[in-house]
Amino acid sequence: MTFLMITGRTVNQGVTVENKTSAAYAAETSTCFMHEFDMLELGLADNDAVRVTGPCGEVVMRAVASPEVGMGTIFVPYGPYANHIIAAGTHSTGMPDFKSHEVALEPTDEEPKTVHELMEDLGGLAYDR
Amino acid sequence: MIVKDVVCPFCGCLCDDIEVEVEENRVVAVANACELGTKKLMGEKRMKNPILRDGGTWKDITYDEAIQYTADMLLSAERPLLYGWSGTHGEAQCVGVHMAELVRGVIDNTSSVCHGPSILAIQEVGHPGCTLGVVKNRADLVIYWGANPIDAHPRHLSRYTRYAEGFFLENAFRDRKVIVVDVRRTETANIADEFVQIKPGGDYAVLSALRAIVRGKTEMIPRTVAGVTREQLVRVVDLCKGAKFGAVYFGLGLTMTGGKYKNIRNAIELVSELSRHTKFTISAMRGHYNVYGSNEVNTWMTGYPFGIDFSRGIAFYNPGETTAVDILARKECDAALIVGSDPAAHFPRRCLEHLADIPVVQLDPYPNATTAFCNVQIPVAVTGIDAVGTAYRMDGVPIRTRRVLSTGYPSDEEVLIRMYALMQGAKA
Amino acid sequence: MSELLIRNACVIDPLRGVNAETMDIAIRDGRIVEDVSGAAEVIDVHGALTLPGGIDSHTHICGTKVNFGRYMSPEDMRAGRTPRRGPMHSTSGYSVPTTYGNSYRYSAMGYTTLLEGAMAPLEARHTHEEFTYTPLQDTMANTLFDGNWGIMEAIRDGDTKRVAAIIAWTLTAVKGFGVKLTNPGGTEAWQWGKNVSCIRDPVPYFEVTPSEIIRSVVEANELLGLPHSVHLHCNNLGTPGNYTCTLGSLGLIPDLNKKRQTLYATHVQFHAYGGSGWKDFCSKSEPIARFVNMRPQIVIDMGQVMFGRTTTMTADGPMEFNLYRLHHDKWSNHDVELETGSGIIPVIYRRKNLVNSIMWAIGLELALLTKSPWQCLLTTDNPNGAPFVRYPEIVALLMSKKYRDAEFATVHPDTGGRVPLPAIERELDWYEIAVMTRAGQAKALGIQDLGKGHLGPGAEADIAVYPIRVDEVDPSVDYQKVIEAFGRTEYTIKRGRVVSRRGECLVDGSNATFWVRPKVSDAYDMGKDPDFIEKFDRYYTVRMRNYPVQKEYLNRNRCIETEAGI
Repeated sequence: MTFLMITGRTVNQGVTVENKTSAAYAAETSTCFMHEFDMLELGLADNDAVRVTGPCGEVVMRAVASPEVGMGTIFVPYGPYANHIIAAGTHSTGMPDFKSHEVALEPTDEEPKTVHELMEDLGGLAYDR
Repeated sequence: MIVKDVVCPFCGCLCDDIEVEVEENRVVAVANACELGTKKLMGEKRMKNPILRDGGTWKDITYDEAIQYTADMLLSAERPLLYGWSGTHGEAQCVGVHMAELVRGVIDNTSSVCHGPSILAIQEVGHPGCTLGVVKNRADLVIYWGANPIDAHPRHLSRYTRYAEGFFLENAFRDRKVIVVDVRRTETANIADEFVQIKPGGDYAVLSALRAIVRGKTEMIPRTVAGVTREQLVRVVDLCKGAKFGAVYFGLGLTMTGGKYKNIRNAIELVSELSRHTKFTISAMRGHYNVYGSNEVNTWMTGYPFGIDFSRGIAFYNPGETTAVDILARKECDAALIVGSDPAAHFPRRCLEHLADIPVVQLDPYPNATTAFCNVQIPVAVTGIDAVGTAYRMDGVPIRTRRVLSTGYPSDEEVLIRMYALMQGAKA
Repeated sequence: MSELLIRNACVIDPLRGVNAETMDIAIRDGRIVEDVSGAAEVIDVHGALTLPGGIDSHTHICGTKVNFGRYMSPEDMRAGRTPRRGPMHSTSGYSVPTTYGNSYRYSAMGYTTLLEGAMAPLEARHTHEEFTYTPLQDTMANTLFDGNWGIMEAIRDGDTKRVAAIIAWTLTAVKGFGVKLTNPGGTEAWQWGKNVSCIRDPVPYFEVTPSEIIRSVVEANELLGLPHSVHLHCNNLGTPGNYTCTLGSLGLIPDLNKKRQTLYATHVQFHAYGGSGWKDFCSKSEPIARFVNMRPQIVIDMGQVMFGRTTTMTADGPMEFNLYRLHHDKWSNHDVELETGSGIIPVIYRRKNLVNSIMWAIGLELALLTKSPWQCLLTTDNPNGAPFVRYPEIVALLMSKKYRDAEFATVHPDTGGRVPLPAIERELDWYEIAVMTRAGQAKALGIQDLGKGHLGPGAEADIAVYPIRVDEVDPSVDYQKVIEAFGRTEYTIKRGRVVSRRGECLVDGSNATFWVRPKVSDAYDMGKDPDFIEKFDRYYTVRMRNYPVQKEYLNRNRCIETEAGI
């Protein structure tokens, strides 16, 4: 199933933002908020892992039902998980399409990676693991 | 000891009424701040000393070594990128501009990935705005568009709008109407008098429809526009025209969606149009506590608010070309200095892949996602906690932060001045 | 100790009555002295015209609205770019240059002191930050009080001493220099989208009129013994027929000060319009100049318009909105809580446009019809009438009837019937130009006793040496040479150091900021006034303790203390 992925700030993302290697920050920014009907359709229960595939990669998040999100869209708190699949094109504005990516969702048995693992996948070296 | 009137270094509200209780040089309690500010002021887990990546491990180095490393890195780079700047004070930002100029680098701040498109729109049509206190004292109508202050700017509602006392409002809560426009029914939508839910990507069309109705062309409007009924659009315009003072606050819901700066342009033009009928203003909900200051500093020193390229000697500005995401995605820069931001958490992966390939130095008090891509990270004092400096609120009001703790950490400004001095010496 | 001797200077120093006398100027440690030792560095200027450093008594160079003018105008930034070179940083901008751009270009023209014309108190810190990056001039800021709630309430209560007390507290807090009224009352009305049409219109809610504001603030200004007089941007700027409003405003002013004027009316060109609309728009420079000629208590500045592109910016928000509705270009506005506001739009003044041609003529007429050059100072209200880099052309226009006629031949053909300019024969001389660009400013600002605007012993060694010999050049004919000479000094000396040589700035510099602290009695200390404190806490969005500009923002701190009569 394809969805429109919107990213944005949340309180929980904000309170953990100065501690980005924490489990709390990872948990918040790897949450895929979605409509409960869409979850039913995909056979997902709250906190089930879901593979999100975008134009330049895929990342595993956890699905959580939210009354704020309409059918056909997912909302992901701004952070390294969403950015793992967001394309770098800016249409000559400097600004990527942070709120207008089409992504595909499918249930998975994989666990979401840690922020450290995401960074190491891209060539980084974790510091305070 | 209780320190009063502390300036919160979290979001663009820059609340300056915080009370911080300090015991044994540690913050033990915070009053008046929101959850975000409290968490930041309480702080934790600072990096202890500069670190250097040594192959597959990290080793501790001295400040002198770290500063020399950075100066050498910038001096030997052909196209250095100096990025971030929203999370530090203005005095440090000024040094950053001088450094970029000296090495003919590119200096960009986080507004290129938050309100950069708003700035592009303002450069096309201008910006009718005001300070937050004008809205607090006068506004009987507030519109949040693509903004969710309950999550991103929690005290905006209590200090300036929904729950704020106002000189010209007898009963501010009753007399002030709040409209929320969003694609999601956010927490903020729940406290609105009127919630306008737009289909994703429909902001531009809805703004155009509102402008048409303001101009008396209601008959041209289809039954629904991007999921919004004509009746509701007319109701919104009636609320706007009937207000004595209307204020629009918009967020990343307009800047990050398709159309980008064209959305903002349409919103500003709606406000200019409404200004012919009543008093109306519009302002951006700026995110970092000093992202606006970074725009201000860059502007008075270089002429441009962000995305400045000194490679030709003069200041050159072309967002989309001279902005950080584009420069990284094109694999163009060959060194990066990051100050007061965390691009690894906030940039698309392609940008990070290039960061992994080039030398990177970061000034930041905490280990963060970007740490993993650093060759050197230099821990610094936190402005507003153990460093003092100037920050510009989202409405352009500059405030000097207070120091609540004394630690041994140098400020961003102190570290950058030392780097700049080394670089000047090498160039002389 | 550093010593410098400037030899063979052809000095015009109007505050000392010196008119084109060739002499040496001795400088020690930044000040002018009687003589220096033989070890002094010597600069021989071979009879070049030597004046006290230029002073601009009304310019917009630093602060919130100026920076917003840059921010919204990348096209203007592209129109004036220079790279980093020697000690000079890169610059951008034509009509609103970056701070370094302002500083270097003013310095190249021999200017050493600048007064920012409009600083909103709440945003004063911003102005001072930009002053720090305007290194080659000393700076001071006029502080806006036109829509100040506390002041309007005190006026309504008939309490002029409280007006003075609020001004004293605010100037001290924001490190301001003078008192500025921009469209008094109008900026408050504009926060409701309204305006006041002239001096008798009441301000909504506060129920005071602009004339009451002007009168009591003038009285308060003198109670405080401030160096400068009230600095007034009249109501009703830019509208046809506004000259009656201007005359009404000037007519409110008694003569209260022996040392200087009692009112400084700024950019009067924009306030000297006749006609009932744009169709019969015409110059009313004559009645304005006549009025000023009869009243020594008034000093005006020109606000000259020059043809070309520029950016208009003023605290007068409603005026900018009206201008926006004429030009339909981009428009910015910024209202400031409890205090004032501002607006910005870009404009192009065109020779082919009749109204613009008339505006151009009016500024020159004001300067030529005002008998005493001490009463009409040279400005463009930079950048509103034109960027300051056009000053040399204005000097030449005032000195040469021939140049004026040549220019007049190129403006809109109907201009002749609307303005008196073609009939004015007067040509100003070097001495009068020196008055209108430095000595008059120093006197009007009340800073001559601080060693500004003259070259007497004890004065600050701020000196401009222009590459021109007044005994060889006839300005009425060789106006092109005048333009060139005033456009680029041979030497600009600031605090005894050569800071600029033939347009190249030689040092990093460091400015001094002049500000005023009136000493008031405890009873009038607003910092201890319960009502003032309570209102501040309730209606401002910044805490009272966080409002004052700290000394860290003053690079070289020049505090002027005054003995207030309250």
